[in-house]
Amino acid sequence: MEYQLKTRQICLFFIAFLPLGKFFMMPSVIAGITGEDCWISVLINILIDFAVFSVLLYVAKKSDANIYTLLSRSLGKTLSKIVLILYVIYFLLKSVLSIYEQKEYVESTIYLNAQNVFYFLPFFIAAFFLCVKKLRILGRAADVFFLITLIGYVLLIALSINNLDLASVLPIGANGFTNIIKGSYKSINWFGDAVYFAFFIGEFKFGKKDRIKLSLSYVISCIMTLLFILVFYSVFTYISFRQRYALTETSKYTTVINNLERFDYFGISCILLSNVIGAALPVFFCSKILCKLIDIKRKWITILVLIGIETILITVFSEYYKSIEDFILNYAGYYYIFMSVILPCCAPLLIIKKDKNAVEIKPKKEKKNAVYQS
Amino acid sequence: MPLSKKSENTADKLREILNSDDVEYLPLSAANKKATLVFIKDIVDKHGIGEFIIKPLNSLKGSLTGKKLFDTFLSAEKKVVSTIEKTAAEVVGGNTVLLVDGFTYALSFGLKMFEKRAITEPPTSSVIKGPREGFVESLQVNVSLMRRKLKTESLKFININIGNYSNTQLCLCYIDGIADKKLVSSLKERLQNINIDALLDSSYVSKYLGEKKSSIFKQVGNTEKPDILAAKILEGRVAILVDGSPIVLTVPYLLIEDFQSPSDYYNSPYTATFMRVLRLISVLISMLLPAVFVAAELFHLQLIPLSFLLTIVNSIKGIPLSPSYEMFFTLLIFEILNEASLRMPRYVGMVVSIVGALVLGETAVNAGIISAPALMIIAFSGICLYTVPELEQTFSLLRLIFLIIGGSIGGYGIIVALSILLIYLISFENFGTPIFAPFSPIVKEDLKDGIYKGFMLETSSRPKSIKNRNKRRLKVDKMTE
Repeated sequence: MEYQLKTRQICLFFIAFLPLGKFFMMPSVIAGITGEDCWISVLINILIDFAVFSVLLYVAKKSDANIYTLLSRSLGKTLSKIVLILYVIYFLLKSVLSIYEQKEYVESTIYLNAQNVFYFLPFFIAAFFLCVKKLRILGRAADVFFLITLIGYVLLIALSINNLDLASVLPIGANGFTNIIKGSYKSINWFGDAVYFAFFIGEFKFGKKDRIKLSLSYVISCIMTLLFILVFYSVFTYISFRQRYALTETSKYTTVINNLERFDYFGISCILLSNVIGAALPVFFCSKILCKLIDIKRKWITILVLIGIETILITVFSEYYKSIEDFILNYAGYYYIFMSVILPCCAPLLIIKKDKNAVEIKPKKEKKNAVYQS
Repeated sequence: MPLSKKSENTADKLREILNSDDVEYLPLSAANKKATLVFIKDIVDKHGIGEFIIKPLNSLKGSLTGKKLFDTFLSAEKKVVSTIEKTAAEVVGGNTVLLVDGFTYALSFGLKMFEKRAITEPPTSSVIKGPREGFVESLQVNVSLMRRKLKTESLKFININIGNYSNTQLCLCYIDGIADKKLVSSLKERLQNINIDALLDSSYVSKYLGEKKSSIFKQVGNTEKPDILAAKILEGRVAILVDGSPIVLTVPYLLIEDFQSPSDYYNSPYTATFMRVLRLISVLISMLLPAVFVAAELFHLQLIPLSFLLTIVNSIKGIPLSPSYEMFFTLLIFEILNEASLRMPRYVGMVVSIVGALVLGETAVNAGIISAPALMIIAFSGICLYTVPELEQTFSLLRLIFLIIGGSIGGYGIIVALSILLIYLISFENFGTPIFAPFSPIVKEDLKDGIYKGFMLETSSRPKSIKNRNKRRLKVDKMTE
């Protein structure tokens, strides 16, 4: 059995890509609902995600095959296909909002003077280029991009530190429990990242201390999100909800800017560079499932069609962006909860029924210098 | 076709096959038997022929046996050939062939003497400290240079002849016990399958070894210095030396190789690390600076500090071209000057420098055709590119691509293109080795000789990015610790 990923790469994947999508619109959306308690709403989502992740981690440890095999083995071909189709819809919805968000950000923040839908089109080429690659390449990308993400993140946080007013997030729970839950519910689209891990099951060798390593890196990615929200709210306090794109706003008051102009754009560019992959992640996993479902020789055709649909949805229907966003944030929440929380929590059922013909898999002892496998 | 017992008949057949005026057929006698010496007069050591063939031949007396004939000659390089085709191949290969009546075979003597260049310091990798000798066009000299560097019985050479007309000799060089056997055999197989009219340079071979034929990135490493080659094959790589080329190829290739200069290993690791960081930054500047500047001018003015923005505004006042066209044409002029300075005779090189720097540069700025910042940026970018000369061609093309993207789509286009480039590089493999290693996939041990250059004693094992055997390359005892 040849593993596509290494544990290290999954750990770096969490840090490199998972927090990125939450740096754009999410902080202002939650701040608009829960005010100074925005971080509690985020924390609730993070805790739910972590619980789901822990369940999937247990499955990964006990499992002897990847998620597709586990599904077809336990549920049969038809039912497993239905589950996979549900995930295709889930990732499609998730990707629409994340790519929309990216597009809106790019057009309204990066191109101040000349907005044009044409400027965002290269993203779809990058997404296609990523989707035709194997899971192994995503792992390798994490090896490089985590450093780029960290440089950008540390720079932005460091530039904002002077303007922090941490007291602004107090008192805790001032906006009431209902608003906090509402904030959590409305921001569910930006969470549910643990689901990605389900597609890594069986694709890496689960070693002795991997549970700790993976959990720790997941926690680090959560802390990055939480810290960013705290910094964002501490900088803007009660006007946070007006700062639509937190990424550009958070560090704009730094004194460095007076001398070097928007020096923070270097950090923003780093985050944007990593987020080309980050925003394309739902499409990537969607394409992988579709390629499993549609068994054709030239898999790139399936991917091309998928990217084509995404492009049309996002460019042609961009006028209806607000309606789509409202629909997803208000009504698709239950579907999101079902797909990203309830269904993954049922994953342990998949490892109850083991393949009768399955022989215990003892992977070949990997040569230490054979890095080409990963 | 077997050789005739009559040397004259064999010589006639050779005349038919070779049919060339530079082939000499020298009639001789050996112990009262007729003999003919066949050689190409311009590529043999004539003094050697007289001393090692004709002189002993004249001293032969009595009955002549095969063993006696073979033992008569003192030449160190002699062999028996028994067919017309092989005899002809020996002659065109520069060897001297002796045909004697009564024998159905010929004797071939290695008495080649080609004109060859002296061993000098290669222009592409000169060093302040460290060995200065470089490879030359002669395969024999290059092999001898390697033998002098690595005096071990494990150093192996496999000869292969390629080229339907050139019949060029090339040589696989590796260290038995370190190089991966599968790599050696697959490389040998690939080379043997090459079917080409003539192999005029090692770069011809590299085209056959790349797995992505349309890639703009190098897929095979190269060097002109024996010390670098010795270091590379000691890491488990396999070298390909081609007769007629001073550039030796090495596989597998890692992108980081080109950021490593030979002097890094002879200087302090601190200096080496600093230099490598500098090279990396320079390459990024050379590739991205023109594109970022144009994108900032056209789309993202907020990126430029106000005082600098005023300078730019003043300098571009009255320039008829848009920023992207202006930068594109300046780059075009730079590339033309670059190409012209490489091609034209050296004695007019000075004229090109003056015309390029003063007439085209300064006058164009004064005339208001291009702005001073654009000229400065292209000049700086051009200089930065030469900090890693091996990648000059690749990054020169990438600079142009990024400039077009920056000028038409702006900053986000550059970011997306950069991410595509990174994804492309991390998924790029040749001979089963990812060329972006040790950064992706991360190979912790090899990072000690990546951008960061560790102390020599820290790098006790061979690189794991390359498939090799015998991992340890140095032992650290308590004294050195």
